[in-house]
Amino acid sequence: MHDSIVQHFDEAATRAGGAPALVWRETRWSYWDLQTAIAGAAVGLRGRAPSRGARVALLVRNSPQYVALYYGALAAGLVAVPLNAQERASVLARQIEHCEAAILVGSTDHPEWPALSAAAATAGCTVLPIAPRDDASALEQFLRDLAGARAVNDEPPKAHELASIIYTSGTTGRPKGVMLSHGNLAANAAAIISYLGITSADRGLCVLPFHFSYGNSVLHSHLLAGAELVLEDNLAYPHLTVQRLQDDGITGFAGVPSTFALLLGRCNLREFNLVRLRYLTQAGGAMPRPLIERLRGELPKVDLYIMYGQTEATARLTYLPPAQLTNKLGSVGIAVPGVEIDVKLDGRSVPAGEIGEICARGASIMQGYWNDTTATHEVLRDGWLRTGDLGHRDEDGFLYIDGRSVDMIKVGAFRVSPQEIEEVVAAVPGVEEVCAAAMPDELLGQAVKVVVVRREGADLDERAVKAHCRRHLATYKVPKVVEFVSVMPRTSSGKIQRFKLV
Amino acid sequence: MADALHDQIRNFILENYLFTNDATALKLDDSLLGRGIVDSTGMLEIIFFIEEQLGVKVKDEEMIPDNLDSVSKIAAFVSSKRQAA
Repeated sequence: MHDSIVQHFDEAATRAGGAPALVWRETRWSYWDLQTAIAGAAVGLRGRAPSRGARVALLVRNSPQYVALYYGALAAGLVAVPLNAQERASVLARQIEHCEAAILVGSTDHPEWPALSAAAATAGCTVLPIAPRDDASALEQFLRDLAGARAVNDEPPKAHELASIIYTSGTTGRPKGVMLSHGNLAANAAAIISYLGITSADRGLCVLPFHFSYGNSVLHSHLLAGAELVLEDNLAYPHLTVQRLQDDGITGFAGVPSTFALLLGRCNLREFNLVRLRYLTQAGGAMPRPLIERLRGELPKVDLYIMYGQTEATARLTYLPPAQLTNKLGSVGIAVPGVEIDVKLDGRSVPAGEIGEICARGASIMQGYWNDTTATHEVLRDGWLRTGDLGHRDEDGFLYIDGRSVDMIKVGAFRVSPQEIEEVVAAVPGVEEVCAAAMPDELLGQAVKVVVVRREGADLDERAVKAHCRRHLATYKVPKVVEFVSVMPRTSSGKIQRFKLV
Repeated sequence: MADALHDQIRNFILENYLFTNDATALKLDDSLLGRGIVDSTGMLEIIFFIEEQLGVKVKDEEMIPDNLDSVSKIAAFVSSKRQAA
């Protein structure tokens, strides 16, 4: 049985002591600094929370302050709800309401902060603004921001207790909160540390947002191993990111397919001295084979791990050992330690070579969806998680993904529900009917396309639809293409045929 | 000071990322990333715009915030490249 992630962190931090834990811009926090900040956050949050288990929503971009708030909430027996910093306030307000968050902590410099903090205050949430700084007084300022609360002494959290809720796109477009326990987080981090061989000698570079399960797993796997993690705000300047890989002697780097497409698109990796880089990991959707080949060609001495996972499984389900990359190209590999994978059809395992639904069980599988027993029962059955992904295994037990059994658009590595897009577009004046679908995108794999039937006499153009979406949706969800048709393609039963829209 | 080059850059961003022709929606010094106007893929599209529409080749090492993170920075970068050409 895996213990609480907080306990694992404390052990790692005590061992690491003054060694660097996090580097962000001009700030460098040692494990001691981080422990101090976490202790301050735990008191500050617990003292403001009505009870143990209360939800604490975080609208904070990747920074040492985010990490201190997240771990501080967990250490205090509270539930961290990291919000997607790319989302609009209206969507985030629904999530805060859905999980009945008691506290909202956010960066005052976030563009959605004014609207979200006002909505949260109206909903009865305690609003706590922080100002993440990146100078020498950052830790001191953080502790001042969190001060003023009375200490509450609770039992340390146990493995089965709820640690975090991560909102993900559901098929219905309504909020879907994946519930992860302390044990889930600890188990998945331990599995990742084990197969990547992360030690205190490692220094990772993270460009993935922590609210995203993959970014979340990169964070935990480094902190629990006593390693150092360098935080980069974005990938908008690929050359600077690769420069950092070189100058900081980075040993591990995690990305989604578009991360590597961006890096390879603008940089010649051979021109850099990446001698300390030990491994790359890729998850978040299938990476095109030519991209894999190019990456291996430019970095022949670096291990490339192709991986597969889901937020519902904390993060990681399978990985392809780099030694198998050539003879198993196209596979997402084998189950990570502590996870069992099966391919099922109508509840029964199918033989090698046959396609079925990928199912998983083990210590990292979520507890369910927050306050949604129907959705939970749809995916958690007989102790197995039904991933909604179709796949098959070969004779050696290696897993291959063959598609998804449910409609979902995957932009970059983010799941986007067509229904969510349709609900937003349907509210545009002049829209009679709308359908959203995935369209191929060279960089992101897929992008959102919407097909619209105009109301008779309506004066509606592509820009008006996109402008409305821009106001109500995260940037990556805004349709790349808006097409107008006179009638939607339908089946004889009246169902719209999404596949005909691409 | 907004000149024709500033207007051309601002109009591209307004049209493609903010979907409006209201010039007040984007100040010349607004941070494109800080305000969430573009993300990393949007920045790549801006590079293509600079190269194809403005006729200035952007070297990898020139892809830095000082050259690209606002309308005025892009305009200054493009002007200096044109003068150097």
